[in-house]
Amino acid sequence: MDNTSTQLNQNLIELSTFLVGDALCGMDILTIQEINKLIDMTSVPQAPSYVLGILNLRGQIITSIDLGKKLGLGETDMSQDPRNIIVNSRGEHIGLMVKQISDVVQADKDKFEPPPSNMGGIQGEFFTGVYKMKNKLIGILDVEKVLKMDEKK
Amino acid sequence: MQIEDDEILQGFIEESLEHLADIENDLLEIEEGGENIDEDLVNKVFRAAHSIKGGAGFMGLTVIQDLAHAMENVLGLIRSCKLVPTPEIINVLLQSSDKLNTMIEDVNNSNDYNIEEHVVPLDAIYKGDAAPPVEATATEDISPPIETSEETTPEVEAPPNLETEAAPEPVAEIEPEPEPEPEVVAATPEPVASPPPKPKPAPKPKPTAQAAEKKPAAKVKLDSSIRVHVSLLDSLMTLAGELVLSRNQLLQTIASDDVRNAESVGQRIDLITSELQEAIMLTRMQPIGNVFGKFPRVVRDLSSKLKKEMDLIIVGKDVELDKTIIESINDPLTHLIRNSVDHGVETPADRIAAGKPAKGTVTLKAYHAAGQVVIEITDDGKGLDGDLLASKAIEKDLLTQEQVQGMSTQDKVNLIFLPGFSMAKEVTDVSGRGVGMDVVKTNLDQLGGQVDIISEIGMGTTISIKLPLTLAIIPCQIIMTGGERYAIPQVNLEELLRIPASQVKDRVERVGNAEVVRLRGNLLPLIRLSDVLGIERTYIDTDSLERQDDRRERISDRRGLDTESSSENVATESGSREPEDRRIAAASALNVVVVTNGSIKYGLIVDKLQDSEEIVIKPLGKHLQTCKGYAGATIMGDGRIALILDVTNISIMADLTSMDGSDRAAEVAHAAEEKIKAKKDKQALLTFRSSEAEQFAVPLNQVERIEKIKRSDIEELGGKRVMQYRGGSISLITVDDVAMVQPLADNDDLLVIVFNIASQIIGLLAIGPIDALQINVTIDDVTLNQTGIMGSTIIEGQTTMLVDIHEIVSTLLPEWFEDQEVFEVAEEGGSVPTILIAEDSNFFRTQVCNYMTESGYEVIAGEDGAIAWDLLQEHGDEITMVVTDIEMPNMNGFQLTETIRKDARFKDIPVIALTTLAGEEDVAKGKAVGVDEYHIKLDKEKLMASVHHYVKQNH
Repeated sequence: MDNTSTQLNQNLIELSTFLVGDALCGMDILTIQEINKLIDMTSVPQAPSYVLGILNLRGQIITSIDLGKKLGLGETDMSQDPRNIIVNSRGEHIGLMVKQISDVVQADKDKFEPPPSNMGGIQGEFFTGVYKMKNKLIGILDVEKVLKMDEKK
Repeated sequence: MQIEDDEILQGFIEESLEHLADIENDLLEIEEGGENIDEDLVNKVFRAAHSIKGGAGFMGLTVIQDLAHAMENVLGLIRSCKLVPTPEIINVLLQSSDKLNTMIEDVNNSNDYNIEEHVVPLDAIYKGDAAPPVEATATEDISPPIETSEETTPEVEAPPNLETEAAPEPVAEIEPEPEPEPEVVAATPEPVASPPPKPKPAPKPKPTAQAAEKKPAAKVKLDSSIRVHVSLLDSLMTLAGELVLSRNQLLQTIASDDVRNAESVGQRIDLITSELQEAIMLTRMQPIGNVFGKFPRVVRDLSSKLKKEMDLIIVGKDVELDKTIIESINDPLTHLIRNSVDHGVETPADRIAAGKPAKGTVTLKAYHAAGQVVIEITDDGKGLDGDLLASKAIEKDLLTQEQVQGMSTQDKVNLIFLPGFSMAKEVTDVSGRGVGMDVVKTNLDQLGGQVDIISEIGMGTTISIKLPLTLAIIPCQIIMTGGERYAIPQVNLEELLRIPASQVKDRVERVGNAEVVRLRGNLLPLIRLSDVLGIERTYIDTDSLERQDDRRERISDRRGLDTESSSENVATESGSREPEDRRIAAASALNVVVVTNGSIKYGLIVDKLQDSEEIVIKPLGKHLQTCKGYAGATIMGDGRIALILDVTNISIMADLTSMDGSDRAAEVAHAAEEKIKAKKDKQALLTFRSSEAEQFAVPLNQVERIEKIKRSDIEELGGKRVMQYRGGSISLITVDDVAMVQPLADNDDLLVIVFNIASQIIGLLAIGPIDALQINVTIDDVTLNQTGIMGSTIIEGQTTMLVDIHEIVSTLLPEWFEDQEVFEVAEEGGSVPTILIAEDSNFFRTQVCNYMTESGYEVIAGEDGAIAWDLLQEHGDEITMVVTDIEMPNMNGFQLTETIRKDARFKDIPVIALTTLAGEEDVAKGKAVGVDEYHIKLDKEKLMASVHHYVKQNH
């Protein structure tokens, strides 16, 4: 009996969800360092178009990326109080600018379903899966994949 | 193999590698000593081998132990003078120590190594097979005592596998060894840049060139720990303690809302922070000897392979540099040393034929100069032939014939840095693959270093590398463009230039599709920072101080004044200001930052110039690695970020290459040069004021910097005015301290003109407006002459007094010159040396004569070269040296020198040439006719130093 419950707990993760464009996306809350409202950025001329700029997070320089633009959903409206999700990718902190932060959802890994080829206008390859809630669908973002793509470019 | 305790193993590895590093040089020294065995030295090596053996035995590293043991045996014989260390024996020992090094670096697999090839010859030497003078009996005498000291591990281990290993140890181990294991850690993140709790290192601050990647494994390993003197740690601890106290104070102050106190606490924290910063920097400082240490071996191996004879002289081992720099100069230096040995120094036969000693000399020298470290690699070989390099470059299609024609000798020598350039006739395993010097340059560029080559055909080559002391914190000039701030490293900065609106049209010209500015007779290519970065052109409106869009196509366009052509655009533009007004303002002054990376110099047009600041470099994220224009970023005082510009890459982005720049500039420069030649004796002066009414000038080349200060920055201490300046304090003086002129104006905004005199800095208080200009000096040295004022001239309709800063300083602070005084008195022991001066301008002649007589020399002066020549013939024997101007009527300085050199009586007299514009071509020409040294007029200090030098030599 005990056994099964721990089993269950291991598969339960907390998903932090947020809106990119109109699509509800989520990622494991443990991959997120913090979420803040820093939008006072220094622009970097000649940078890829989806890079909003660089900002100073307690003495560290962080590249901020417009997640909407990166995923092909158009620019995030900076006047609508967007949020910056700071994640850690390959030893580097990166800020992902999203339109709005939503709830934290407990999800069972076993219930993740393979992603469709396209979700809310976002290429399926950026997702590791989807999680179906009662009335909504959360696309689980693969952060590494989102951030990795352009190294090849 | 299982090694229980990682820490002990790590300790063993580090200690052993240290021992081995020493062994190498000691062995070389033993070899040099030959029969005269230095017992201490041999003992040292012996002990090193012994401790490695002991440690390895303890760890169960049997193969290492066996090899160390075999080495120890041989060393024992040398120690007891039973064996004379021949080069062959030393060779075997060296190779063995290499193998030990390899094994220790790969300690976990060390027991699988095959050491047969080393043990066998070692044993043979030990047993006397290879070394004749050893008697068989001696062997027995020696071995037991060596053995007894060692314990536990059984002596006879199963020798490692004897498979036919085809790859023998490389005999001349010059290249960094192929690493036995994959390189795990590529770059040590700077402490400031390291991300908090992540095991992975931060991404490299800059893209690394291929050569930097193959760091020797040993280096990578040693990265993880560093030795710091306890006293330094103690002082760090003390500072940390003080910091904590100040923090408490600060918190208290904040809590009590005590504003006045806050200021003093702030100052305290400021002080402690900078001290702490300094102390921490010190912990990162390592002696350059760590790198230099391996070069004796490199030179030895390489020269014996190339059958050349060579000495390596190392000077300045103790010069300290930041650890990261030490690590990254390893490869470039190795390459340069190998180049010197391979290409620079000739074979003994060639050398003898050229009248040089058969043994070549390579000198490796490190020293501090102007806040930087200079490393010089000098060889006395055949030198670089610029023309040969140029023809080679044409042959390889790297350059066109036309490009070459416009190049100076120096430019040609610099061709060696072109990618794909190789001088070697055939590719050998030593060099000649053509990937050399450009990689060296790229590597050094990344370090913020500069490379210069000075070469004289037949005499040798000197390559000098200037490196910053540290990479972590660098002084930068902050500029503004497009509303953002950018930092330009001070090492790249040549000067700041403001072209007033009225001069933009005259001074900025178009050559081909590039814009250039005329700067003191040279043409400087201009790059608009906003264009390179692809942002909107803007400028700072001089009236409203707002940023405005700039629509001009070309800098030299002044559409604003041409109302007709602009009227059609006016309608389309809406702004709060009158369009007309704006256009006039658009043609306002240009702010140009003149930058250089050593080989190429250009002007960067920016919106606004700000202060210079010390900044901490932080790397940019991987998404920004494609932006080549930045070397990193930094956080400014207000918390915002400024990007650091990469001067080299910006010139590449703007399609400006050294060749191109000089090519384009050459056309117009030629015309300009003619013009300058027509005018003679131009002098660059800086004009300023002390009181509103009187204008002063000083020679521009004496000025170090100009700082804007507030009157409140000046502190009066002990009757002297001082100011805090770059972490120290600087004495401040005014012209009226000495000269009878009006006192310093009572302004709040003051300027400090910083001079470097008698190797100390001093600031002259002044007020604006200041201007740098080049004028034909016709100086009246009678009317206004007085202490501190050397004469007067008329600049733009205003009488200007020329300030003699040396005289002022020597009057106010005679103690600064005491050293030099002593130097001079020493000269007067014998007969007084006589100096012949040839100079057509009355003013300069009197000046130079005064310098000389002040220092106690006799002077004979002539108004031109011809008169000087007559004088020389007349007084032939008395004259110790000649100081001559270049531009003179009847017989110019070059002709005079040539005449002197042709005459057998005078050919050894030193000749110093004085010039106002020391162009490279002039210098080369002068050297060719036999001028010993060049000096800029009115640079008293340098001139006198070299006069002393030559007089001493010839007296």
